[in-house]
Amino acid sequence: MSDAAAPAQPPDRRGLWRRIRGTQGRNLWFAAFVAPFFLGLVVFVYVPILWSAVLSFFEARNTVTPTKFVGFGNYAYLLQDRLFLNSLVVFIAFAVFIVPLTYVCSLGLALLLDKITIGRAFFRSVFFIPTAVSYVIAAIIWRFGFFNGARFGLLNSFLRSLGLEQPINWLGGGNNLYWVALVSARLWLQVGFYMILFIAGLNKIPVETYEAAALDGASGWRLLRWITLPQLKATSVAVIMLLLINAFQAFDEFYNMLGSIGQYPPYGRPPLVHLYLIALGGGQQDLGVGGAGTMILTSIIVVFGVAQNWILNRGGKA
Amino acid sequence: MRTSRVAQGLRYVIAIALALFFLLPLYVIVRNAFSTNANITSAKWNWLPDQVNLTNLTSLLANDSIGIGRAMANSAIMAGLQTLGTVVVSLLAGYALARYDNRVSRALLALTIFTLMVPAATTFVPMFIITAQLGWIDTFRGLVIPGMFSAFATYLFRQFFLDFPTELEDASLIDGCNPWTSFWRIVVPNSRGIIAAVGTIILIGSWNAFLWPTLVGRDATRTVQVALSQFMTSQGVRYPELFMGTLVAVLPMLFVFLFLQRYLVQGLTTSGLR
Amino acid sequence: MNISRRSLLLAGGSLAAAATLAACGSNNPLASGTPSEAKPSGATSPNASAPAGGGDVTLQQWYHEYGEAGVKEAVEKYAAAYTAAKVEVKWTPGDYGSILAAQLLTTDVPDVFEVEQGGSLDMIRSGQLADLTDIMAPVKDQFNPAVMKRFTFEDKVHGIPQTIDMQLLYYRPSLLQKAGVEPPKTFADLVKVADAVKSADIGGFFAGNDGGLGVLGTILIWASGNEQLTEDRSAVAFLNDNFYNALTAYRDFYKSAGLLQAASAEWYDGAAFVNGETAMQWGGLWSLPDIQKAWGDDVGVLPFPAIGAGGRPAVPFGAFGACVAAKGKNVDASKEFVKWLWIDQDEDQVDFSNSYGTHIPAKTALVAKADKLAAGPGKDAADFVSNHGFANDIMWSGAMGDAYNAAVSNVIKDGKDPKAEFAAFEATAKTELAKLAG
Repeated sequence: MSDAAAPAQPPDRRGLWRRIRGTQGRNLWFAAFVAPFFLGLVVFVYVPILWSAVLSFFEARNTVTPTKFVGFGNYAYLLQDRLFLNSLVVFIAFAVFIVPLTYVCSLGLALLLDKITIGRAFFRSVFFIPTAVSYVIAAIIWRFGFFNGARFGLLNSFLRSLGLEQPINWLGGGNNLYWVALVSARLWLQVGFYMILFIAGLNKIPVETYEAAALDGASGWRLLRWITLPQLKATSVAVIMLLLINAFQAFDEFYNMLGSIGQYPPYGRPPLVHLYLIALGGGQQDLGVGGAGTMILTSIIVVFGVAQNWILNRGGKA
Repeated sequence: MRTSRVAQGLRYVIAIALALFFLLPLYVIVRNAFSTNANITSAKWNWLPDQVNLTNLTSLLANDSIGIGRAMANSAIMAGLQTLGTVVVSLLAGYALARYDNRVSRALLALTIFTLMVPAATTFVPMFIITAQLGWIDTFRGLVIPGMFSAFATYLFRQFFLDFPTELEDASLIDGCNPWTSFWRIVVPNSRGIIAAVGTIILIGSWNAFLWPTLVGRDATRTVQVALSQFMTSQGVRYPELFMGTLVAVLPMLFVFLFLQRYLVQGLTTSGLR
Repeated sequence: MNISRRSLLLAGGSLAAAATLAACGSNNPLASGTPSEAKPSGATSPNASAPAGGGDVTLQQWYHEYGEAGVKEAVEKYAAAYTAAKVEVKWTPGDYGSILAAQLLTTDVPDVFEVEQGGSLDMIRSGQLADLTDIMAPVKDQFNPAVMKRFTFEDKVHGIPQTIDMQLLYYRPSLLQKAGVEPPKTFADLVKVADAVKSADIGGFFAGNDGGLGVLGTILIWASGNEQLTEDRSAVAFLNDNFYNALTAYRDFYKSAGLLQAASAEWYDGAAFVNGETAMQWGGLWSLPDIQKAWGDDVGVLPFPAIGAGGRPAVPFGAFGACVAAKGKNVDASKEFVKWLWIDQDEDQVDFSNSYGTHIPAKTALVAKADKLAAGPGKDAADFVSNHGFANDIMWSGAMGDAYNAAVSNVIKDGKDPKAEFAAFEATAKTELAKLAG
């Protein structure tokens, strides 16, 4: 539907209002439909970002109406704060593990189910069901059930049965093994969802494409490499984008697996946890530095998003 | 053909092994929920629970500091309201963004995609302050409304409506409907699949939300995730109660999920993310 | 329609005005009898939240979740006994500090609340806490001097100490005896004893699932003979060889088998010691009743032992202070209430310290009335606070603590060079101290 298709306007009552309303009040209807969403977006997303921007230039400790302007002081402070810089490293390390791992596992499961005929719905449900479980609950199971550092965790019991005397303190930070717990928990929780996206992508590949390739004698890996994967490109892009955004938002399982009352260890801090501790959670309430952190993280994501869009568009044109 | 039969058998072995791995965490919840503290903390791992009765459930329900019943109700109210609100708001916006092609619409679409990229959680500090200034701390309004404006849901709906045929709407407009009535009478009833799919995603996300309810939900509106998290780190944590609480918290979602799964799969398969 | 709305508003307004006047009336001690004369009496009011003589003012009082059974009921009982105002107790499980701090940013603040060490510098500076100097000045000398020193900043007091909490080392004398070792007097002894008592069934020493760094980190400063900050609070004062050696000594201990790396509960819970998972544990005095219930007389307590040549024993102590929100609607009524409860009501204060867990009354004269501190481990603990007690400096801010813990963790867990690590910490501390100095 476009404006050209609309019936001719009556010649009277022209003017600005006419133009604002649009043909048959189209613009007004449009406004009515989008207003709730965009008003909410402004109040609860854009105003907060702007407020963060304002706070980031002030010394705002335990106050939201600061008076002491500090210019880029908070930015300078954060950019030399080793814990903050480390949190970016933590994010990158986490993303480097979780994104490819989830991608490969969810694609693998989708391909596996594609070939399975008996009990396909059952297996799909089983792989999908962790999606309904929360990060908090996964953290409880992982922290106390599997990766408990005391003698009774499932893994330590298992290792002892193999003859390992000293229990391993998985989450204690004396080693990097807490990554095993963090990555495996998230993998368990999210792999089913992405598997469904891949199944959806697989179903969209026309059967004829495969038949044509089969006639050419292609099979197995060659089919996967030359037909399936290229056809799944759009799905893959969406999956990787979502995985990265979710990795960047990591908070719940870190906080619940590593934190204790009012304390969070210096290791294994993704950016959101560190900002939470600075702004609201730790023994400090530095909303100025917190605001600066918000701005820095937002810029990183935006730059990254724009770059990805640009690369994809270029790739599309080439 | 012989090799392919072997391969197929191998696929089933792998699938069954993986299925056991995927179910193991859920089994650990059940095992611990029906165990004594001694069984859980025993140096030798026992696969079986040793207290298969309601003892842990009664002591969980009697534990005021966790308040599981109240927390479950709070979570249900919050998740229900948030799902309803998000779906309505995003459905309207997604529909308009797909149907009306003008300069404002294109600008708003760009804004939506931009919002998709900005991690919502980075704005939690000022978002909390705004919520507080509105006097919404420890209210369902505060829990629900700030999280109701999902760029993700709006984007999914828009993608769906791009593929949705316009003939029905055109016919209804000629029959004297205006866009609003046509939307509710014609478009929405024909979009149940995608609504169920997006609704399920929102419902699960909302039920499982943690950071925002931690900040906003207090005595009157503490949700079950927050209650469990606090119970986990508080003094005198008792494992059987904690895992019984976990079991109680996870069961409703599992049932809802098994029931809605079909729609979710269909919805995701037929549209949206590609 | 419009008119009736407006008149309704008017009526509402005048009602509110009347209520305010009435509130003023009941706040006047002359009008309603001095609050401190009020006697708790269960018979007058079966409903705890609606005291019989209840004032027209309603105060909201916040507590964090005390782990000991009965504290919630006790504080509700105290509040119900207050007659000059209605006091609603809000019990806050979870991360109390964060929740309180977040709430104080809003316009809807609790009237009365407890804050660790009577308020942080940022809370005072940003004007969140009402000045309580006037009600504290006449009675200041009655409180534990070390606590009062910590609660006073630039001659002002913003919180009334409620009760003193402290941490200490628990050990099982029988197990030490069996291993043929004496209770450790120095850190080097502690390492030897831990190694001697540990077996396949029981750990040597436990101080948290992070290897003890979270809770013991700052103690290393004091136990190695140092102070956190210089006298004028312009710089950190502990970056010397004694401290670095303490760090490396702890690093060796951390790697040894004597340190139990993980247990079924954290250090602030007595469970690991009670369950027999460890022979020695760093814990809170509040766990003493649970621990004595499990092991009877087979419980000994020690301060953290002196570490290195210049070392001295150390125990950290702290007190929650009752504070009043400066932005609250009833500041005067709130001040009356905290004065009544935490200055005047001696019996309630003893009950609060002594009946649930073990704590030390904040007022020196009341220590004698706390029977748990009369003998044995309780008495030892009270003595430790007097002789070896340390508390974080008011300028030891959250940001500084965070940076400090990170440096300690890097040295002990990652084996980094202490000097280099703490050079970086010193830079952070310098910025932070300059900021705090204003």
